Amino acid sequence: MNAALSFRPIVAERDVEVISRPSLSYWRDAWIRLKANRRALVSLYIVIALGLFTVVGPWLPFVPNHSAQDLDQISSPPGADRTATIVEPYVPWSGVTVNAPGGQAPLEAPASVSLAGEATTQAVRIFWDPVRGAHGYRIYRNIAHPAPDDALGMPLADVLVPSRVSFEDRLDIKPQEYFYSVVPLDRNGREAPVYATLDVSAIRVITAEEAVKRGLAGSTADLAIGDQVELKLHVLGTDYLGRDMLARLMHGARVSLFIGIVAPFLFILVGILYGSAAGFVGGRVDQVLMRFADFVVALPFLLFMILFRILFKIEGGDSGIAPMLIAMVILSWPAAARLVRGQILQIREEGYISASRLLGAKTPYLVLRHMIPNTMGVILVTITFAVPSAIFTEAFLSFIGMGVAPPTPSWGSMCNEGIKTMLTYPHELIFPALFISITVLAFNLLGDGLRDALDARMRSQE
Amino acid sequence: MILYTIKRLIQGVITVWFIATATFFAMHGVPGDPLMTDKAMSEEVRKNLDAHYGFDQPKWKQYGIYIGHMVQGDFGISFAQENRRVNDILWEHFPVSAFLGILAITFAGLGGILFGALTARYRNRMPDIVIMFLVILGISVPSFVFAALGQLALVKLNAFFGTSILPVAGWGTLSHMIAPSLVLGLGTMAFLTRLMRSSMLEIVSSDYVRTARSKGLPTTRIFLRHELRNAILPVVTVLGPSIAAITTGGFVVELVFAIPGLGRYFVQAVQQLDYTVIMGTTVFYGAFLVFMVIVVDLLYGLIDPRVRLE
Amino acid sequence: MTAVIDQVTSALLEVRDLEVEFDTYGGTVRAVRGVSFEVHAGKTLAIVGESGCGKSVTVQSIMGLIPSPPGRIVGGTAKLRGKEIVDGVTADGEIVRGSRIGMIFQDPMTSLNPTMTIGDQIAETLQVHRGFSHSQALRLAVELLEMTRINEPSRRARQYPFEFSGGMLQRSMIAMAIACRPSILIADEPTTALDVTIQSQILDLLRDLQQENNMAIVLITHDLGVVARMADEVAVMYAGEFLETGTADDIFYNSAHPYTVGLRAAMPTNRDESEQDLMPIDGSPPDLFAPPPGCAYFARCPHAMEACRNDPPPGFAVGSGHMTRCWLHHADCSRRIEDLHYAAAAPLEGRDA
Ligand SMILES: Nc1ncnc2c1ncn2[C@@H]1O[C@H](COP(=O)(O)OP(=O)(O)O)[C@@H](O)[C@H]1O
Ligand code: SF4
Ligand SMILES: [Mg+2]
Repeated sequence: MNAALSFRPIVAERDVEVISRPSLSYWRDAWIRLKANRRALVSLYIVIALGLFTVVGPWLPFVPNHSAQDLDQISSPPGADRTATIVEPYVPWSGVTVNAPGGQAPLEAPASVSLAGEATTQAVRIFWDPVRGAHGYRIYRNIAHPAPDDALGMPLADVLVPSRVSFEDRLDIKPQEYFYSVVPLDRNGREAPVYATLDVSAIRVITAEEAVKRGLAGSTADLAIGDQVELKLHVLGTDYLGRDMLARLMHGARVSLFIGIVAPFLFILVGILYGSAAGFVGGRVDQVLMRFADFVVALPFLLFMILFRILFKIEGGDSGIAPMLIAMVILSWPAAARLVRGQILQIREEGYISASRLLGAKTPYLVLRHMIPNTMGVILVTITFAVPSAIFTEAFLSFIGMGVAPPTPSWGSMCNEGIKTMLTYPHELIFPALFISITVLAFNLLGDGLRDALDARMRSQE
Repeated sequence: MILYTIKRLIQGVITVWFIATATFFAMHGVPGDPLMTDKAMSEEVRKNLDAHYGFDQPKWKQYGIYIGHMVQGDFGISFAQENRRVNDILWEHFPVSAFLGILAITFAGLGGILFGALTARYRNRMPDIVIMFLVILGISVPSFVFAALGQLALVKLNAFFGTSILPVAGWGTLSHMIAPSLVLGLGTMAFLTRLMRSSMLEIVSSDYVRTARSKGLPTTRIFLRHELRNAILPVVTVLGPSIAAITTGGFVVELVFAIPGLGRYFVQAVQQLDYTVIMGTTVFYGAFLVFMVIVVDLLYGLIDPRVRLE
Repeated sequence: MTAVIDQVTSALLEVRDLEVEFDTYGGTVRAVRGVSFEVHAGKTLAIVGESGCGKSVTVQSIMGLIPSPPGRIVGGTAKLRGKEIVDGVTADGEIVRGSRIGMIFQDPMTSLNPTMTIGDQIAETLQVHRGFSHSQALRLAVELLEMTRINEPSRRARQYPFEFSGGMLQRSMIAMAIACRPSILIADEPTTALDVTIQSQILDLLRDLQQENNMAIVLITHDLGVVARMADEVAVMYAGEFLETGTADDIFYNSAHPYTVGLRAAMPTNRDESEQDLMPIDGSPPDLFAPPPGCAYFARCPHAMEACRNDPPPGFAVGSGHMTRCWLHHADCSRRIEDLHYAAAAPLEGRDA
């Protein structure tokens, strides 16, 4: 125990603690809370970044025009090898002929299939050992090994001359691995149940003229056969028409974000007007108005979205953005109306409106002065949550071909195109899907953060 | 309860009438009324349509005829396919969609309740963090991406095992239904998980659970009798609207998995501008959703005594 | 500590040096800071103090009801008939919660499960602790409802909480808490949420049940009027500490702590006027994130001295079973608490003399 206890009374100089927290304005306080929420803050940055991506992106030097096709690079994934070897212009191939050996069934598989020359994107030339008794051959091409389930792929051609044992493939060859299978045919042109396969890796080639024409080299004089040139850069690869993915994503972002942000603003505006009318007038009118809102909610949303699209008769060249916006506004306002009405009724209950009415304020003034600022927080949160669902709706409709019409890109329509090549070129689906997901995620988390920030503030007001 | 049921049913019928009316006027109201002017059809179809819908009569009479048919449950005849009634089309394709939807909502509901309870139980620990991460993904990834990825996964799975574990597309057997209904339920499941989690967290710290603990009840009993049952209530209230969400998702899943459901047929009908099928399907689906919401609300009354006696 | 009361008694419940903390975003809240008390059979101990001073946390930690996280029992023991309680179970496995000690809460409206019938909720306790069948337990539940003076008990047992009024719900809570004939009933502000007339009925009921069953009651309240009416012994709690403990007479007629004196002075002498519990002592309780180093009451005490600033006062015995934590009782202090009893003279109504 302390030896020197002093029992001298003190009265005046005690530090009566003051738990003082500076009283902040509504929005400042909410902003501070939001900043403390790391997820919401990161989401806010992502939203800002998306805005820049959309607005500034297309002007970046490495972003080509979004509708320009690069026919040398179709469906090329990001980071794909872009080198092309300069070759001579194409010269026809005479092929390989032999004396067809006669014989009896059953037909056997060709003893071997070989490559003539180099396999290039210009042409792949193959020949095979003749099969005793064959009346012809059918050639298949596949991008995966045919074994084990004998999937030979796409039939390229039938060679119906028994003495011809070669084939030249010039059909849309990509710089990748191919499996050519040769099946002997019998007298009636039926396939024998045997085949031989050749594994070929085609390399990308380009003629000097073409290279100059595409702007890959100054003049033909600079290029010798066998030189390598770099094709144009596509940061995120290209789609099935050889269009730059990044450029299309940026352009698509305009459509998706435009609908995603403008539609909620519009329908929430309509909702505010409708809801405040109902809430402020009250009584019978209020009941009728809200009953009508309930009916609109009951309309099957997606089916009506599609219905509206038919009604507006999207013509060729019409992007379909305007009908989608209008339909969304017509179908989506009731939720906001209900919310605003509820808020207004609550504020009316609280009585300070009647107090100021007693003091002689006019009704529209009252609405502006008291209600709008008080419901602003809730409305902001509602908009933030409405954005992701509008983006979803756009993507969804475009995906089933009922939204934005090609060739206008939107993330949804890009997914629609991408899903067709999903198995071979997944990047065409993954990138737009990723952008939709990240955007929706960011707005959802931002909405969560805003709600928490404003909610806490609302609670502490009680 | 009976009174409540009747009241809800009457409300439902009025709502369906509104949907039918809105559909009618949407279709007829725009300039160049497609139902009256579309030329791309045979003489015979045109005659059938006029006879059935009274297209040669004034608008208000047409409306009367239309509503009259609806009351009898007659959705009309197809524009694009000769001699095909819309009812037949609905009858053929709707059960497929309904079955798919029921599987999906069951899966979403059970999964949502299970995972939601799990995350609340292990709040801020590994299971919670992992599941909530997946939930955020589930809420942010569009349904068609799930469908595409699901199909991709099936392809890879089948390739890996060298046989067909589950079919990649099509319809008919139970094995056809598993993948699409899982995919269809995922988004809703994520949403329900989130709801269940917050509901559970609120209830775990509620006064009556504290009372239950003060009574010295075993943990499992508290969980089942006091926490779970009450936490499920908000999940059940959103099941009605969730059915609508599942229906929407069904469109995509049916397209991607080549399932002969009503959603896929509807998209086709739109492409063929088969107006009567479009109208019929819209009203039918609208009515279906309205009554599903009522059914769910009535079910809710069975588990929440506070509603039962209203 | 110089003068901790060190009685050897046959206490039913004995709590020593209880310390409880909560981890929150703002830091660690030291909600209970070394609390000791005893509960005797058939007697009522009232714990009185301002809202937020740690009353509920004190009793909930005995019952093992502190949510953890964020709560943590940092120190101390609670013994039931000499056997230590951990997590609601005594050292030799006897279930305390709901069986040996029953508990009722402040807000009966939210303290019952809304989706279970009242009867089932009462019966549940009997099924779990007594091994009764459901129908047996239900029959007993009806008897219990009758005991707590609920009309038509068998019909009421089949109803849900939302069909009951606040007072009836609190009666049902009491029925539930005493179902297993506990030797102690903890009532955490049982009447705070109720109307004045209902309040008094509930308090009467509690006292009658206590007499019939020789039950001890730990009554938590912030209403000195309730204390005066019910308590045999009183503990005055402030900022997580007991500032004064003693018999009701000690506390009311012989207050030995400036805080108790202040409370008494602020208490309306006429019960009918006391619509709410007035405590107009200047200032507010200290922040429990960083409790003051000396006396907890220092900032508000009209008699504060140099010593009070940095040295926590120990418990001083000021009579048999009467303890207080105030430097005024130190032998070297020239002033006496008796001099300071300026406002404590008014007699108390509602208290059986
Ligand atoms: N779950 C909790 N989390 C954080 N702090 C808590 C919690 N429960 C109680 N506390 C803190 O403990 C202190 C005492 O609370 P309590 O015992 O409920 O007061 P009362 O005396 O009114 O019953 C309060 O100041 C509160 O801040
Ligand atoms: S110890 Fe000092 S400050 Fe505390 S109550 Fe006693 S006199 Fe007042
Ligand atoms: Mg309390």
